[in-house]
Amino acid sequence: MPDREDRWIADVAAELRRPVALSAGFDARVMAALRAAPRRTPLRGLWDWLREPRVVSFSPLGGLAAGAAVAAVALAGVWMAPRPAGPVAAAAPAHPATAAPVDVAFVLLAPQARSVAVAGDFNGWDPARTRLVRGAAGLWTVDVPLAPGRYTYAFVVDGRRFVPDPAAPRAVGEDFGTPSSVVTVEGGAL
Amino acid sequence: MRRAAAGLLLALGVGRWGVARAQTDRLAGRLPEPTHAAALALIDSARAAGLPADPLVNKALEGASKGADGPRILAAMRLLAHDLGVARDALGASSSESELVAGGAALRAGVAPDFLARLRHEHPDEPVVVPLAVMADLVTSGVPADTAARDVLTLARAGLREAQLVEFRRDVERDIALGAPAGASAAVRVSAAARGVAAAPATPTGGTPPRRKP
Repeated sequence: MPDREDRWIADVAAELRRPVALSAGFDARVMAALRAAPRRTPLRGLWDWLREPRVVSFSPLGGLAAGAAVAAVALAGVWMAPRPAGPVAAAAPAHPATAAPVDVAFVLLAPQARSVAVAGDFNGWDPARTRLVRGAAGLWTVDVPLAPGRYTYAFVVDGRRFVPDPAAPRAVGEDFGTPSSVVTVEGGAL
Repeated sequence: MRRAAAGLLLALGVGRWGVARAQTDRLAGRLPEPTHAAALALIDSARAAGLPADPLVNKALEGASKGADGPRILAAMRLLAHDLGVARDALGASSSESELVAGGAALRAGVAPDFLARLRHEHPDEPVVVPLAVMADLVTSGVPADTAARDVLTLARAGLREAQLVEFRRDVERDIALGAPAGASAAVRVSAAARGVAAAPATPTGGTPPRRKP
């Protein structure tokens, strides 16, 4: 009985080992079909992998840890994000405008002048530091950023003659014989 | 703990010394030597009395720039130090440097110290530079000192903002330039401005101030 089974198994094995007779164009057809198939790029493979449903399992402790990590990343993003430079109502000081400089335009009509400068409390009374620029019809102008406050100043024409600003209030008193003017830069209060 | 406190005090002392040094350094080379030394002594005295040094330095620089002689520069500095002291007494020790400068100008124009004290009393938590400056400017335009001070107090009490006070001053100056009597112009403009504030709806404040002319 065992001999018969052994012989049967040997016959099956011999049959399986026997070369399969293929038609003459079989190899060519297989290769043609392979060449015609869409090529699988690495990106396509990744996309297919991402789309394929999967079951992920983790412990409750691992889930809590993952949630905490996500929250930490989000908080770090909020903390590190650039903030707007302008004043924020909640964080603004009581008088936000008191420190902000304002461009003050100094203007003098002096068609005959060869040079005009402005000297005052804001530039150490040094005419060389703030020169006006000549415009049309002898109108000299310059913008000076000034913080809120009160400043005394005068124009200096041709490097030697001090001239008060005809468009501004006069400074009180003439301590040095030539009048000066005053400019008051508002701070947005009252 | 003691080391930390000592370090903090040392840092504060060095910082204050640095500021004081920077202020007086501005005078170097601008005044002839006898005047320079006297000016530094005057500034030290003022600083010891709790007065700001910068306005005094600015006054000395103004004199130097205008070619004034030493005695005249020192006299102007002493007068300013006196005005700053009176202004500080009237406005309070916590007043800013700008407030003391504007208060000193108002006093110099003839405004009584009592008006400064009343302004501070009615606006304890707000800068009063502009009201004080408007007082001084009105007086130099020809408005009697008491009238100018009283008008500004009235308008500040009525709720005028700084820009409106400056506009009021410009209106009065324009009226005077056109030939109106200074006192009468101020009286008319005060009534109009106070009525305008009472009638106008509240306006938002803040934002970037526009470029302006003196």
